[in-house]
Amino acid sequence: MTELVRIDAAQLRQATELILAEGASFAGAWASEQAGIPMWRVLMSTSRGTRALTCAATEPIPSITDLVPAADWDEREAQDLCGVSFQRETPVRTLATHSPRAQDWMTAVSGSGVHQVAVGPVHAGVIESGHFRLHVVGERILAMDPRLFYKHRGLERAARGEQSDAAIAYAQRACAACAVTNSVAYAQAVEQATGTGPDRRLRVARTVLLELERLYNHLNDCGALCAGVGFAPGTMAFAALKDRAQQLNMRGFGHRFLFGTVRVGDGGAHLAADESDALRSELRELQVDTAAAWRELSFAGSVQARLEGVGVLDADAARCMGAVGPAARAAGIREDARSSSSGLAYDGFTPASIPSPRGDVSSRLQIRGVELEQSFELLRALLDGEMPAGSASIAGERSPIGVGRVESPRGATVCAVELDGDRVGRMHLRSGSYANWPALAEACAGNLLPDFPLINKSFELCYACVDR
Amino acid sequence: MFVLLSQLARIRRERGLQRSAPRSVAIRHVDAGSCNGCEHELGAASNPFHDIARHGLEVVASPRHADILLVTGPVTSRMLEPLLMAHAAMPEPRMVAALGDCALGCNLLGDRGEFVGSVDQVLHVDIRIPGCPPAPDVIARQILMALGDTRGA
Repeated sequence: MTELVRIDAAQLRQATELILAEGASFAGAWASEQAGIPMWRVLMSTSRGTRALTCAATEPIPSITDLVPAADWDEREAQDLCGVSFQRETPVRTLATHSPRAQDWMTAVSGSGVHQVAVGPVHAGVIESGHFRLHVVGERILAMDPRLFYKHRGLERAARGEQSDAAIAYAQRACAACAVTNSVAYAQAVEQATGTGPDRRLRVARTVLLELERLYNHLNDCGALCAGVGFAPGTMAFAALKDRAQQLNMRGFGHRFLFGTVRVGDGGAHLAADESDALRSELRELQVDTAAAWRELSFAGSVQARLEGVGVLDADAARCMGAVGPAARAAGIREDARSSSSGLAYDGFTPASIPSPRGDVSSRLQIRGVELEQSFELLRALLDGEMPAGSASIAGERSPIGVGRVESPRGATVCAVELDGDRVGRMHLRSGSYANWPALAEACAGNLLPDFPLINKSFELCYACVDR
Repeated sequence: MFVLLSQLARIRRERGLQRSAPRSVAIRHVDAGSCNGCEHELGAASNPFHDIARHGLEVVASPRHADILLVTGPVTSRMLEPLLMAHAAMPEPRMVAALGDCALGCNLLGDRGEFVGSVDQVLHVDIRIPGCPPAPDVIARQILMALGDTRGA
């Protein structure tokens, strides 16, 4: 259940302070509309569920970014895309609008010997489009400004007015690599708003799909890190393991990225007993080969030496910037949306940890190794004979807003849906990548320019589900 | 440098050397607004399962080194200029390939105001590779077929 708490804009800061003092954490903010009046919603995740502080956005809203630095991008996005204005001490920099004036979007950096290095939007590799502006002195990075939204497709705006079950396509198509996560988060949001809940079978089926998605993504990210240090054998070995994971997706569910397997209100994927057994035994083989490749990587001294102490995001910074997922866990923050996912089958889940989390590139690789093993074990336990599609049924009352929160390979993804009858009034997707981009920028500061690609790959964030 | 280049061109002209049938093709990729699915599959085309390099297909870092511009995604208004700049930077003769259903303008999702449209509304498209996303082996096969190469993928 998501509680809507209506307050005056003037009370927003006070209400935020109060709820933070109760131990709540920021989960996203977006501009909406109620009876023709523009509204601003700040979502807080508390021990008793989620609460959306909401106020009218007709006048400039007091910014909460000094209380919640993680809300910076949310406010900047709302200003650019929805015309909401905020009261801040310094001008609100643009995010989604690409202003030609440097001071509109860049960090102000001055001093002798400071120069800028511009990268993108078109990159040298096969990478998504996005621009990075690095402020450097010599080889040292002072600050990094990511400029994304080159791929903004207006998916949230386009979803407005669509049938709530059909509009899942907008969440899925936001990003191929997070297609299952985004779709499950959307489905959960609509189900919460319509007062329905998944049965055990649907919970299991969705969990299997989510873990299969994590598997190929984490394998991809290990390979990408190898590419980041020019370790070709590792790049190729993990690229092959990733492909094998995607071939399993294709054989089991008819799509290498598991498109179309998640639906609102019921399951879009099932496995007969023999299919489930086959998938289980093929995953076992993949697990053995992954462990072998991982051992090789662990003993490649020249690779490991390149990763240590690079791109440090410590626990304080991670918490302050609102980092989530492997990036936060590599800094020692043991939080994972899977430990509080009642709509999924993660009973008794414990977030992964590593012996000495330092928040550097090395730690971010290590945590993925632990999580790969964890995913293999979860899948082994869940794939037990036939996997029916499952369904959702009426479990409570309808509410004007629903929120889904799912751990993607890059961290907690939040989807909020406001319903207008059986149509979407507002859909907002805040992916794990969205939460982590400001943290990535923070982790670059103080590092060497040639290490930027490596630091970037250690986060391996999506552009598509940020740009939407 | 231009003197040197013109000397070389003269020698080639005088020798009358014939160009051999194309055996290698350099590809530059531009993501004009995709969901990252086509990027993953284009990357996978170079993995040990598919290895497009064995067909002489290579993804290069700069459009200045490329024979084919491989474009993914619908063209968003913010990616139009970078896309056209990458195309303009290519030497001639050059080809354009539209990779994936979005690039071909099929079943586009999003706010119409944010798109310019499919790739062929912006550039002349020579090679069309359908799929959502196209599988890695399909990518190689379609490019080779379009080049009249019957070795198959």
